Amino acid sequence: MADETTATPRRDPIKNPVGNAAAQRRRQNAVSVGKERREALFRTKRLCRVGVSSEMDVPVDSDMMIEEEQSILEAQTSSAVEELKTAIAFQGKGAVQKKVNALRELRRLLSRSEFPPIETAIASGAIPLLAQCLSFGSQDEQLLEAAWCLTNIAAGKPEETRALLPALPLLIAHIGEKSSMMVAEQCAWALGNVAGEGEDLRHILISQGALLPLAKMMFPNKGSTVRTAGWALSNLIKGPDPKAATELIKIDGVVEAILRHLRKSDEEIATEIAWVVVYLSALSSVATSVLVKTDLLQLLVERLTTSNSLQLLIPVLRSLGNLIAGDTYTTNTVLVPGHEITDNIILALIKCLKSEHRVLKKEAAWVLSNIAAGSVGHKQLIYKSEAMPLLIQLLMTAPFDIKKEVAYVVGNLCVAPAEGSGRSSLIFDHLVSFVRSGCLRGFVDLVRSADIEAARLGLQFMELVLRGLPNGEGPKLVEKEDGIDAMERFQFHENEDLRNMANQLVDKYFGADYGLDE
Amino acid sequence: MMMIDNNLQAQSEFQYWFPVLRRFGPDDPFFASGNIERELLAKQVALDLTEEEKQQLRNLDDADSEVSCPIVGCGANLRSLVEFEDHYNARHTASCSVCSRVYPTSRLLGIHVSEAHDSFFQAKVARGYAMYECLVEGCGMKLKSYKSRHQHLMDKHNFPSSFDFFKKAQPSKKERSKKNQRKQHHATFTTENEEGSGASAMQVEEETLNGLVSAVSKLTTSDSTPSAVSFGRRHTRGLTFFPRAVQRETKK
Repeated sequence: MADETTATPRRDPIKNPVGNAAAQRRRQNAVSVGKERREALFRTKRLCRVGVSSEMDVPVDSDMMIEEEQSILEAQTSSAVEELKTAIAFQGKGAVQKKVNALRELRRLLSRSEFPPIETAIASGAIPLLAQCLSFGSQDEQLLEAAWCLTNIAAGKPEETRALLPALPLLIAHIGEKSSMMVAEQCAWALGNVAGEGEDLRHILISQGALLPLAKMMFPNKGSTVRTAGWALSNLIKGPDPKAATELIKIDGVVEAILRHLRKSDEEIATEIAWVVVYLSALSSVATSVLVKTDLLQLLVERLTTSNSLQLLIPVLRSLGNLIAGDTYTTNTVLVPGHEITDNIILALIKCLKSEHRVLKKEAAWVLSNIAAGSVGHKQLIYKSEAMPLLIQLLMTAPFDIKKEVAYVVGNLCVAPAEGSGRSSLIFDHLVSFVRSGCLRGFVDLVRSADIEAARLGLQFMELVLRGLPNGEGPKLVEKEDGIDAMERFQFHENEDLRNMANQLVDKYFGADYGLDE
Repeated sequence: MMMIDNNLQAQSEFQYWFPVLRRFGPDDPFFASGNIERELLAKQVALDLTEEEKQQLRNLDDADSEVSCPIVGCGANLRSLVEFEDHYNARHTASCSVCSRVYPTSRLLGIHVSEAHDSFFQAKVARGYAMYECLVEGCGMKLKSYKSRHQHLMDKHNFPSSFDFFKKAQPSKKERSKKNQRKQHHATFTTENEEGSGASAMQVEEETLNGLVSAVSKLTTSDSTPSAVSFGRRHTRGLTFFPRAVQRETKK
């Protein structure tokens, strides 16, 4: 088997002019706001359009699906299933080839378009037949085709995925180490789709023993099998029950494999492995505490610094975020100010803040806010870095969700950690610097928003300004930025906390004596 | 680097800024856009999505971020924060042309104007008419004094005793200097009496306001008592007053 077969389909140029219109219509269909279509796009399941091996035939002109052909497709599917039934029953010479041919036909029908005739296939009774084709001792080609069919059936709607239940134990059996790589990969793909459907299915798969063999599929150095297994594994452990994540980290060889792939493997594999780390770190404190003591953080920072692939950057950034948020060890022991890794992570986060991608900006700000929640040394490090002008600008001009995260960074940079009795102190220099750069306006905007959390942040920052600036400058600045106005909104606000906070500020700093001694 | 140590009493109510580590579960909405991006990127080759289409799909996710107006009694659902701003400016900024106070509904503004700026209102009050309307729309009750209306709100509508309709407003700079000047020219007017009976009309306006304002600024809405009508806001604990009629349908 070739080393790096990709599973992404190649598009042949469409020669038939009718095909163009059809393709366009299909594209329009895909984007129209039909809830079902959109749901299909965002599913954590993946259709297998081209097989796991380049030796298999690639459907040519496979996308020329016109709407009207759907009923023809369905009819063909029913008869293909019938064929399969006959083939399975057949006992004579060439029985295996008959089965393979029937399976292949069904597989082609299920791979041609983005919306294959799954419902028809199930209704015609395909699943039990396919399960039969997975029986032990069957030829590889048969296993492959059957698993491929099941993969695509499982990529459909929830009830369609669930229909695979009878076949699950067999699929799990065939990802064992004795299976050929291609068979294992195709079965893993099917299992990944099933796992992506829901918590209950994940639970079933785990209780049927899917975790260990799937984890072992990550051990080879390279290959599409590793990538597919990584993806399937991320679907399997995504919880919300943390048990699978905790069990995974304990399997011998898993940590080593994760580190190896993140260190050396290509971006496609690293991406899926990074997603495994995302779920490990988000769900399992055991996993987090194990991982932070390896050089994983180093590897993640390197990837974050060097890669330009959004697909890879997202899970890498998020893994870092989870590891920092999940265990104080990270900030206290690994990311110590003065260590090279600390400088590097800040640079990498700056790179993300500068990115055009909204997700990267938002999540990088989140990570930075957690570092800024650390020691005074951390705050000073960020304050002195190139992050500052970026933060100020983002606070003023970024979309709301990014603005909110940046607000957390800024505020955290201005307040030193509490010691013992719960007192916290202002970091005067930082506060003044931010205010002089015009940040207050951004916070007043947050106060005006309908988002409770944002409004609270705004009020809290305003309090810092009111309290912390010398010579009564605070109230004047707040008034100048229409802060009083913003606070008066809360008089009739539903949220009692916010009302109280706003009232307290107004009463304390804008009392009857305010402005009289000008 | 200079630090100011501020002794924050533990029992203080204000929730001061306190840096903490913020952690999210994998399914948290915080991560939603990243998750969507993952799926879009994974399928984009298969679907041959153009940048435009991808952007449309990302925006669909944004569109789900509905916002409900947090002004008591409103409950309007807006499709985005920008829409909320528009809604707020259109509906909740009924402002008094005399003193610039802002009220969330025109009815409350009307009540304020009568009670604070209308000398005929004060005249009738002085003669014993029940002029102070109940703030709850649909109740219809009228009381003879600010105080008794306050009592009615507590007794009949479960308002907390700290509720204050005439919250102390922040006079603008112009008004503050005007007030300064007036204070220098007039004899000391010491009436702190809430109703300001017997005072001249113009001064009633000012001093009544001040008196009310200071008394009232000590009142705040609180949720110590449950409300008769809930507006179904999941995030609210208990409730405060409802300027709209009781018929407003609850939305859970």
